[in-house]
Amino acid sequence: MDQEKRLSKGKNICLCIISVLIMCVLLFPIYWIFVTSLKTEQEIFQIPPTFWPKMLNLKSYAAQVENGDFNMFQSFANSFVISAGATLIAVVLAVPASYGIARYRFKGKKLMLLGFLVTQMLPVAVLLTPMFIMFRNMHIYNTPWAAMLADATIGIPFSVLILKNYFASIPNELEEAACIDGCNRFSAFVRVLIPIARPGVMVCAIFSFLYAWGDLAYGMTFIIDQQKRPITAGIFNFMGQYGTKWSYLTAFAVVTMIPVALIFIFMQKYIISGMTSGAVKG
Amino acid sequence: MYALPAFLYMLVFVGYPIFSNLVLSFQDVTMKTLLLPKKPFAGFENYIEIFHDKVFVSSLTNTLIFTVSCLVVQFLIGFLLALFFNRNFKFAKPVRGLLMMPWMIPITVTALMFKFVFGTDVGILNYILRSIGLIKENIEWLTTPGTAMFAIVVANIWIGIPFNMILISTGLTTIPRELYESASIDGANKVQTFFRITLPLLKPTIESVLILGFIYTFKVYDLVYVMTSGGPVNSTHMLSTYSYKLSFEMFKYSKGAAVANVLLAILLIVGTFYIRATREEE
Repeated sequence: MDQEKRLSKGKNICLCIISVLIMCVLLFPIYWIFVTSLKTEQEIFQIPPTFWPKMLNLKSYAAQVENGDFNMFQSFANSFVISAGATLIAVVLAVPASYGIARYRFKGKKLMLLGFLVTQMLPVAVLLTPMFIMFRNMHIYNTPWAAMLADATIGIPFSVLILKNYFASIPNELEEAACIDGCNRFSAFVRVLIPIARPGVMVCAIFSFLYAWGDLAYGMTFIIDQQKRPITAGIFNFMGQYGTKWSYLTAFAVVTMIPVALIFIFMQKYIISGMTSGAVKG
Repeated sequence: MYALPAFLYMLVFVGYPIFSNLVLSFQDVTMKTLLLPKKPFAGFENYIEIFHDKVFVSSLTNTLIFTVSCLVVQFLIGFLLALFFNRNFKFAKPVRGLLMMPWMIPITVTALMFKFVFGTDVGILNYILRSIGLIKENIEWLTTPGTAMFAIVVANIWIGIPFNMILISTGLTTIPRELYESASIDGANKVQTFFRITLPLLKPTIESVLILGFIYTFKVYDLVYVMTSGGPVNSTHMLSTYSYKLSFEMFKYSKGAAVANVLLAILLIVGTFYIRATREEE
């Protein structure tokens, strides 16, 4: 409320301490998973529980590389290919689309926007069976393509709605100036507008990636072979077979969080802007 | 036409599936008839059957109970945190940033995390409750009907808090500071300013947070599927998980499609409120 009013020193420290306490409580589960992944199976079941491993145990990670049964690095790579592909499709299609919607008037524009808005509300259950039949007919069932194409349908509407506002906020004069300098409409778009809208494009790429990375339903339904499945499906499968092997399970979970953590550390500002301008979660 | 490729993509991979899901729900498609070119017609049979199906009715009420309880709690906590972090102390921004983590983590991982926290023998929650003397015997959270629902609600609230917090935070920054200044000159106390200025001016934000929250919570799928798969004895089935079970575990594709369409219909009704609200803002 009082953003510019200075707080007294004591109050400042007090609020800082409270905020750290809130953070410790809310983020505890993440810490707990991480610590558990470093414990031995015995120590996990020990009472009272230890808040830092007595004996550092990296076997849960190492075991995944050695035995081929549930190689989490394989499924990590699968997830990465699927998510990167879905991101690429979403960005390549959404950037021109949002530009067209922001700049030109055409018939059915409102309806198209409404369509994108409604797609974001769709429950995955509506799409699963028809997509399943469709991918079988296209002969891409049980290939990464199926998950990639399906995951892109989450990224596209989100990206279009966000980027549309970005392009709309760029003054028209900029393009006109570029046109005078010898660009046509299209090269002005590629050379002038896209670079300006880069932060927006980044937001879209990050969110498309995160949506695809977190997807379970598509990856699990459209890809049957365990060694081709994404990491989320890998965890789910692993839980079914080794439900109480918590050291392995938590290690699996930590590896799944790595890209999310990296994105978070290096691109935090994009995330908050994406959440507030799009306000969407698939 | 810049928008055409994206539009066509969505038409093929989303528009067509919605349509064929509708068709599917009026047919009788099972494992045997899935790939036949001509499928038997069933009329409203599937819809009549599911409304006589006890599990369907309970998943409908479950979804409602789940959504409302998540919505209320995550909104209140998110609101309080937004007010707290809106104050100008040193850690406000970095800590608020870190609190976004739960929202970004793949839901499969979150589900695993809470399965671990709510575990009967291994779970830290039972340990804490026992050591402060609240319970004597370990509670079997995830294998007892009522408590399983509670556990899922808690996990989902954990995901939803950042979303509520960040949107309300942004809403708070749009309130002009002069209003607060003049209110304090007029002798209004903090409670009065909150109810007379903050709340009324936040109304559009609150509306969209609640409607969007409803939509995203109502279509919950991964979290429930990984944590309980609808069990024990169907007590945590949601519309989405039940639809999935009908289609991909029992291979009653048409019935699954009918359930998914009921889910979609409810979302669309709520969605129109959102669309109307955003129209007004523009």
